[in-house]
Amino acid sequence: MATNPMHQFEVYRMGPEISIGGINLSFTNASFFMLVSSLLILLMLFLGTKKKLLVPTKMQLMAEMSYTFIAKMINDTAGSKAKPFFPFIFTLFMFVLFCNMVGMFPYSFTVTSHIIVTFILASIVFLGVTIIGFIKHGIKYLELFVPKGVPVVLLPLIVVIEIISYLSRPVSLSVRLFANMMAGHTMLKVFGGFVISLGLLGGWLPLGFSVALTGLEILVAFLQAYVFAILTCIYLNDALNLHH
Amino acid sequence: MKDLKEITTRLEIAKKNIKKNLNKNKGTNAASLGNALKISTELVAAVVVGSLFGFILDSWFDTKPLITIFFFFVGVAAGIKNVISSAKKMNRNTEK
Repeated sequence: MATNPMHQFEVYRMGPEISIGGINLSFTNASFFMLVSSLLILLMLFLGTKKKLLVPTKMQLMAEMSYTFIAKMINDTAGSKAKPFFPFIFTLFMFVLFCNMVGMFPYSFTVTSHIIVTFILASIVFLGVTIIGFIKHGIKYLELFVPKGVPVVLLPLIVVIEIISYLSRPVSLSVRLFANMMAGHTMLKVFGGFVISLGLLGGWLPLGFSVALTGLEILVAFLQAYVFAILTCIYLNDALNLHH
Repeated sequence: MKDLKEITTRLEIAKKNIKKNLNKNKGTNAASLGNALKISTELVAAVVVGSLFGFILDSWFDTKPLITIFFFFVGVAAGIKNVISSAKKMNRNTEK
Protein backbone atom coordinates (compact mmCIF):
# COMPACT_ATOMS: atom_id res chain seq x y z
CA MET A 1 0.00 0.00 0.00
CA ALA A 2 2.62 2.52 1.07
CA THR A 3 4.86 1.77 -1.89
CA ASN A 4 2.24 2.54 -4.49
CA PRO A 5 2.90 6.14 -5.54
CA MET A 6 -0.62 6.59 -6.87
CA HIS A 7 -2.29 5.51 -3.64
CA GLN A 8 -2.22 9.05 -2.29
CA PHE A 9 -4.72 10.19 -4.94
CA GLU A 10 -7.44 7.76 -3.91
CA VAL A 11 -10.77 9.31 -3.04
CA TYR A 12 -12.71 7.52 -0.31
CA ARG A 13 -15.89 8.16 1.59
CA MET A 14 -15.88 9.70 5.04
CA GLY A 15 -19.00 9.10 7.07
CA PRO A 16 -22.35 7.87 5.74
CA GLU A 17 -23.21 7.44 2.09
CA ILE A 18 -25.42 10.25 0.82
CA SER A 19 -27.23 9.73 -2.44
CA ILE A 20 -29.65 12.31 -3.83
CA GLY A 21 -31.49 11.51 -7.05
CA GLY A 22 -29.07 8.72 -7.95
CA ILE A 23 -26.04 11.03 -7.62
CA ASN A 24 -23.46 10.05 -5.04
CA LEU A 25 -22.99 13.14 -2.86
CA SER A 26 -21.12 11.49 0.00
CA PHE A 27 -18.59 13.47 1.99
CA THR A 28 -15.15 12.32 0.81
CA ASN A 29 -11.58 13.09 1.79
CA ALA A 30 -11.49 15.48 -1.19
CA SER A 31 -14.43 17.42 0.21
CA PHE A 32 -12.81 17.38 3.63
CA PHE A 33 -9.57 18.93 2.39
CA MET A 34 -11.45 21.53 0.34
CA LEU A 35 -13.28 22.44 3.51
CA VAL A 36 -9.99 22.62 5.43
CA SER A 37 -8.47 24.92 2.80
CA SER A 38 -11.49 27.23 2.79
CA LEU A 39 -11.53 27.39 6.59
CA LEU A 40 -7.80 28.17 6.67
CA ILE A 41 -8.30 31.03 4.21
CA LEU A 42 -11.15 32.41 6.30
CA LEU A 43 -9.11 32.05 9.47
CA MET A 44 -6.08 33.79 8.00
CA LEU A 45 -8.08 36.70 6.62
CA PHE A 46 -10.16 36.97 9.79
CA LEU A 47 -7.12 37.09 12.07
CA GLY A 48 -5.35 39.41 9.63
CA THR A 49 -8.12 41.98 9.52
CA LYS A 50 -9.31 41.83 13.14
CA LYS A 51 -7.03 44.53 14.52
CA LYS A 52 -6.26 47.13 11.89
CA LEU A 53 -2.94 48.40 13.13
CA LEU A 54 -0.88 51.07 11.40
CA VAL A 55 2.20 48.93 11.92
CA PRO A 56 0.88 45.52 10.91
CA THR A 57 1.39 42.26 12.71
CA LYS A 58 2.62 39.27 10.69
CA MET A 59 -0.91 37.99 10.13
CA GLN A 60 -2.15 41.39 9.03
CA LEU A 61 0.84 41.76 6.73
CA MET A 62 0.04 38.43 5.06
CA ALA A 63 -3.59 39.39 4.50
CA GLU A 64 -2.64 42.81 3.17
CA MET A 65 0.10 41.44 0.93
CA SER A 66 -2.22 38.91 -0.66
CA TYR A 67 -4.70 41.70 -1.28
CA THR A 68 -2.19 44.03 -2.92
CA PHE A 69 -0.63 41.17 -4.88
CA ILE A 70 -3.91 40.28 -6.57
CA ALA A 71 -5.08 43.88 -6.91
CA LYS A 72 -1.83 44.81 -8.67
CA MET A 73 -2.00 41.75 -10.90
CA ILE A 74 -5.54 42.56 -12.01
CA ASN A 75 -4.61 46.17 -12.64
CA ASP A 76 -1.53 45.22 -14.69
CA THR A 77 -3.09 42.54 -16.85
CA ALA A 78 -6.76 43.44 -17.21
CA GLY A 79 -6.86 47.18 -16.47
CA SER A 80 -9.12 49.17 -14.20
CA LYS A 81 -12.24 47.85 -15.91
CA ALA A 82 -11.66 44.49 -14.25
CA LYS A 83 -11.81 45.93 -10.71
CA PRO A 84 -15.35 44.61 -10.06
CA PHE A 85 -14.07 41.06 -10.58
CA PHE A 86 -11.49 41.33 -7.83
CA PRO A 87 -13.46 39.25 -5.28
CA PHE A 88 -13.80 36.37 -7.73
CA ILE A 89 -10.15 36.29 -8.78
CA PHE A 90 -8.96 36.71 -5.20
CA THR A 91 -11.15 33.79 -4.08
CA LEU A 92 -9.94 31.66 -6.96
CA PHE A 93 -6.29 32.39 -6.28
CA MET A 94 -6.55 31.81 -2.53
CA PHE A 95 -8.52 28.59 -2.98
CA VAL A 96 -6.07 27.09 -5.47
CA LEU A 97 -3.08 28.28 -3.43
CA PHE A 98 -4.37 26.83 -0.17
CA CYS A 99 -5.46 23.56 -1.77
CA ASN A 100 -1.95 23.21 -3.20
CA MET A 101 -0.26 24.18 0.06
CA VAL A 102 -2.44 21.94 2.26
CA GLY A 103 -1.49 19.11 -0.08
CA MET A 104 2.15 19.64 0.83
CA PHE A 105 1.57 18.40 4.38
CA PRO A 106 2.39 14.73 4.86
CA TYR A 107 -0.64 12.42 5.03
CA SER A 108 -2.87 15.07 3.51
CA PHE A 109 -4.64 15.00 0.18
CA THR A 110 -4.10 17.34 -2.76
CA VAL A 111 -7.49 18.34 -4.09
CA THR A 112 -6.02 20.04 -7.17
CA SER A 113 -4.31 16.81 -8.30
CA HIS A 114 -7.70 15.63 -9.59
CA ILE A 115 -8.58 16.85 -13.05
CA ILE A 116 -12.29 17.01 -12.31
CA VAL A 117 -11.68 19.68 -9.64
CA THR A 118 -9.40 21.81 -11.80
CA PHE A 119 -11.61 21.34 -14.85
CA ILE A 120 -14.67 22.57 -12.98
CA LEU A 121 -12.72 25.61 -11.77
CA ALA A 122 -11.49 26.30 -15.30
CA SER A 123 -14.98 25.78 -16.74
CA ILE A 124 -16.43 28.32 -14.31
CA VAL A 125 -13.81 30.82 -15.48
CA PHE A 126 -14.40 29.97 -19.15
CA LEU A 127 -18.20 30.18 -18.99
CA GLY A 128 -18.09 33.30 -16.84
CA VAL A 129 -15.70 35.08 -19.20
CA THR A 130 -17.76 34.10 -22.25
CA ILE A 131 -20.98 35.35 -20.63
CA ILE A 132 -19.31 38.61 -19.57
CA GLY A 133 -18.03 39.08 -23.13
CA PHE A 134 -21.50 38.63 -24.61
CA ILE A 135 -23.09 40.93 -22.02
CA LYS A 136 -20.50 43.67 -22.65
CA HIS A 137 -20.35 43.48 -26.45
CA GLY A 138 -23.44 41.54 -27.50
CA ILE A 139 -23.12 39.70 -30.79
CA LYS A 140 -19.96 41.74 -31.57
CA TYR A 141 -18.09 39.49 -29.17
CA LEU A 142 -17.93 36.95 -32.00
CA GLU A 143 -15.47 39.31 -33.71
CA LEU A 144 -12.92 37.68 -31.41
CA PHE A 145 -12.95 34.77 -33.85
CA VAL A 146 -12.38 36.96 -36.92
CA PRO A 147 -8.90 38.49 -36.92
CA LYS A 148 -8.44 41.71 -38.87
CA GLY A 149 -6.83 41.76 -42.30
CA VAL A 150 -7.39 38.15 -43.26
CA PRO A 151 -8.35 37.45 -46.91
CA VAL A 152 -11.93 36.23 -47.34
CA VAL A 153 -10.79 32.96 -48.94
CA LEU A 154 -8.93 31.92 -45.79
CA LEU A 155 -11.65 33.10 -43.41
CA PRO A 156 -13.54 29.79 -42.94
CA LEU A 157 -10.34 27.98 -41.94
CA ILE A 158 -9.10 30.81 -39.70
CA VAL A 159 -12.43 31.03 -37.89
CA VAL A 160 -12.37 27.28 -37.17
CA ILE A 161 -8.80 27.58 -35.85
CA GLU A 162 -9.75 30.53 -33.67
CA ILE A 163 -12.76 28.67 -32.26
CA ILE A 164 -10.64 25.62 -31.40
CA SER A 165 -8.03 27.85 -29.82
CA TYR A 166 -10.77 29.52 -27.75
CA LEU A 167 -12.21 26.15 -26.69
CA SER A 168 -8.76 24.91 -25.69
CA ARG A 169 -8.51 27.54 -22.94
CA PRO A 170 -10.29 25.63 -20.16
CA VAL A 171 -8.45 22.44 -21.12
CA SER A 172 -5.01 24.03 -20.98
CA LEU A 173 -5.90 25.86 -17.76
CA SER A 174 -7.09 22.72 -15.98
CA VAL A 175 -4.53 20.27 -17.37
CA ARG A 176 -1.65 22.56 -16.40
CA LEU A 177 -2.65 22.74 -12.74
CA PHE A 178 -3.66 19.09 -12.47
CA ALA A 179 -0.58 17.72 -14.25
CA ASN A 180 1.86 19.81 -12.26
CA MET A 181 0.36 18.84 -8.93
CA MET A 182 -0.03 15.17 -9.74
CA ALA A 183 3.42 14.78 -11.28
CA GLY A 184 5.09 16.54 -8.38
CA HIS A 185 3.36 14.48 -5.70
CA THR A 186 3.96 11.22 -7.54
CA MET A 187 7.65 12.06 -7.87
CA LEU A 188 7.91 12.86 -4.16
CA LYS A 189 6.30 9.54 -3.33
CA VAL A 190 8.56 7.61 -5.72
CA PHE A 191 11.68 9.11 -4.16
CA GLY A 192 10.23 8.38 -0.73
CA GLY A 193 9.83 4.75 -1.80
CA PHE A 194 13.49 4.65 -2.92
CA VAL A 195 14.57 5.74 0.56
CA ILE A 196 12.79 2.76 2.09
CA SER A 197 13.95 0.19 -0.45
CA LEU A 198 17.61 1.31 -0.45
CA GLY A 199 17.70 1.27 3.34
CA LEU A 200 20.25 2.79 5.67
CA LEU A 201 23.18 2.53 3.28
CA GLY A 202 21.95 3.96 -0.01
CA GLY A 203 18.85 5.77 1.11
CA TRP A 204 20.49 9.09 1.81
CA LEU A 205 20.71 10.20 -1.82
CA PRO A 206 16.98 9.86 -2.57
CA LEU A 207 16.26 11.42 0.82
CA GLY A 208 18.22 14.48 -0.24
CA PHE A 209 16.32 14.56 -3.52
CA SER A 210 13.07 14.34 -1.59
CA VAL A 211 13.98 17.37 0.49
CA ALA A 212 14.99 19.35 -2.60
CA LEU A 213 11.83 18.30 -4.45
CA THR A 214 9.68 19.37 -1.51
CA GLY A 215 11.12 22.86 -1.85
CA LEU A 216 10.49 22.80 -5.58
CA GLU A 217 6.93 21.58 -5.03
CA ILE A 218 6.18 24.48 -2.72
CA LEU A 219 7.38 26.84 -5.44
CA VAL A 220 5.25 25.02 -8.01
CA ALA A 221 2.23 25.13 -5.69
CA PHE A 222 2.48 28.90 -5.49
CA LEU A 223 3.37 29.32 -9.15
CA GLN A 224 0.44 27.30 -10.42
CA ALA A 225 -2.03 29.27 -8.31
CA TYR A 226 -0.46 32.44 -9.69
CA VAL A 227 -0.63 31.20 -13.29
CA PHE A 228 -4.25 30.16 -12.83
CA ALA A 229 -5.18 33.60 -11.53
CA ILE A 230 -3.16 35.56 -14.09
CA LEU A 231 -4.64 33.59 -17.01
CA THR A 232 -8.11 34.29 -15.65
CA CYS A 233 -7.16 37.97 -15.72
CA ILE A 234 -5.88 37.68 -19.32
CA TYR A 235 -9.08 35.97 -20.47
CA LEU A 236 -11.11 38.59 -18.64
CA ASN A 237 -9.09 41.28 -20.41
CA ASP A 238 -9.93 39.72 -23.78
CA ALA A 239 -13.61 39.76 -22.90
CA LEU A 240 -13.66 43.31 -21.51
CA ASN A 241 -11.46 45.05 -24.08
CA LEU A 242 -12.22 43.45 -27.40
CA HIS A 243 -9.01 43.56 -29.44
CA HIS A 244 -6.21 41.24 -30.40
CA MET B 1 14.50 79.22 -4.52
CA LYS B 2 17.84 77.49 -4.35
CA ASP B 3 16.47 74.89 -1.94
CA LEU B 4 13.57 74.12 -4.26
CA LYS B 5 15.94 73.47 -7.17
CA GLU B 6 18.02 71.17 -5.07
CA ILE B 7 14.97 69.20 -4.03
CA THR B 8 13.87 68.84 -7.65
CA THR B 9 17.21 67.47 -8.75
CA ARG B 10 17.31 65.10 -5.82
CA LEU B 11 13.78 63.91 -6.61
CA GLU B 12 14.78 63.28 -10.20
CA ILE B 13 17.76 61.21 -9.14
CA ALA B 14 15.59 59.21 -6.75
CA LYS B 15 13.02 58.58 -9.48
CA LYS B 16 15.72 57.43 -11.87
CA ASN B 17 17.02 54.99 -9.29
CA ILE B 18 13.54 53.54 -8.80
CA LYS B 19 13.17 53.08 -12.55
CA LYS B 20 16.54 51.39 -12.77
CA ASN B 21 15.64 48.94 -10.03
CA LEU B 22 12.30 48.20 -11.65
CA ASN B 23 13.97 47.29 -14.92
CA LYS B 24 16.49 45.13 -13.12
CA ASN B 25 13.80 43.10 -11.36
CA LYS B 26 11.78 42.48 -14.48
CA GLY B 27 12.04 39.03 -16.00
CA THR B 28 13.93 37.47 -13.13
CA ASN B 29 10.93 36.84 -10.89
CA ALA B 30 8.65 33.84 -10.70
CA ALA B 31 6.41 35.24 -13.43
CA SER B 32 8.82 34.21 -16.16
CA LEU B 33 8.91 30.65 -14.89
CA GLY B 34 5.12 30.71 -14.89
CA ASN B 35 5.19 31.86 -18.51
CA ALA B 36 7.47 28.99 -19.46
CA LEU B 37 5.13 26.44 -17.90
CA LYS B 38 2.17 28.11 -19.55
CA ILE B 39 3.25 27.86 -23.17
CA SER B 40 3.81 24.09 -23.31
CA THR B 41 0.32 23.11 -22.18
CA GLU B 42 -1.26 25.61 -24.52
CA LEU B 43 0.10 23.75 -27.54
CA VAL B 44 -1.00 20.34 -26.29
CA ALA B 45 -4.45 21.42 -25.16
CA ALA B 46 -5.41 22.79 -28.57
CA VAL B 47 -4.39 19.56 -30.30
CA VAL B 48 -6.43 17.52 -27.80
CA VAL B 49 -9.48 19.75 -28.14
CA GLY B 50 -9.24 19.74 -31.94
CA SER B 51 -8.99 15.96 -32.16
CA LEU B 52 -11.83 15.50 -29.68
CA PHE B 53 -13.99 17.91 -31.66
CA GLY B 54 -13.27 15.96 -34.84
CA PHE B 55 -13.96 12.66 -33.12
CA ILE B 56 -17.38 13.84 -31.92
CA LEU B 57 -18.28 15.13 -35.40
CA ASP B 58 -17.10 11.80 -36.84
CA SER B 59 -19.42 9.81 -34.61
CA TRP B 60 -22.29 12.07 -35.62
CA PHE B 61 -21.78 11.79 -39.37
CA ASP B 62 -20.36 8.24 -39.45
CA THR B 63 -17.27 9.24 -41.43
CA LYS B 64 -14.81 7.66 -39.04
CA PRO B 65 -11.30 8.82 -39.53
CA LEU B 66 -11.75 11.69 -42.01
CA ILE B 67 -12.98 14.58 -39.86
CA THR B 68 -10.78 13.55 -36.93
CA ILE B 69 -7.71 13.74 -39.15
CA PHE B 70 -8.74 17.14 -40.49
CA PHE B 71 -9.46 18.57 -37.06
CA PHE B 72 -6.24 17.15 -35.68
CA PHE B 73 -4.34 19.40 -38.06
CA VAL B 74 -6.66 22.31 -37.29
CA GLY B 75 -5.87 21.68 -33.62
CA VAL B 76 -2.15 21.77 -34.34
CA ALA B 77 -2.60 25.08 -36.15
CA ALA B 78 -4.65 26.43 -33.24
CA GLY B 79 -1.95 25.30 -30.80
CA ILE B 80 0.78 27.06 -32.74
CA LYS B 81 -1.40 30.14 -32.94
CA ASN B 82 -1.88 30.00 -29.14
CA VAL B 83 1.86 29.80 -28.56
CA ILE B 84 2.62 32.66 -30.95
CA SER B 85 0.00 34.94 -29.45
CA SER B 86 1.09 34.31 -25.87
CA ALA B 87 4.73 34.78 -26.83
CA LYS B 88 3.77 38.09 -28.41
CA LYS B 89 1.96 39.05 -25.21
CA MET B 90 5.09 38.29 -23.18
CA ASN B 91 7.20 40.42 -25.51
CA ARG B 92 4.80 43.31 -25.10
CA ASN B 93 4.92 42.98 -21.33
CA THR B 94 8.70 42.99 -21.14
CA GLU B 95 9.04 45.92 -23.52
CA LYS B 96 6.69 48.05 -21.46
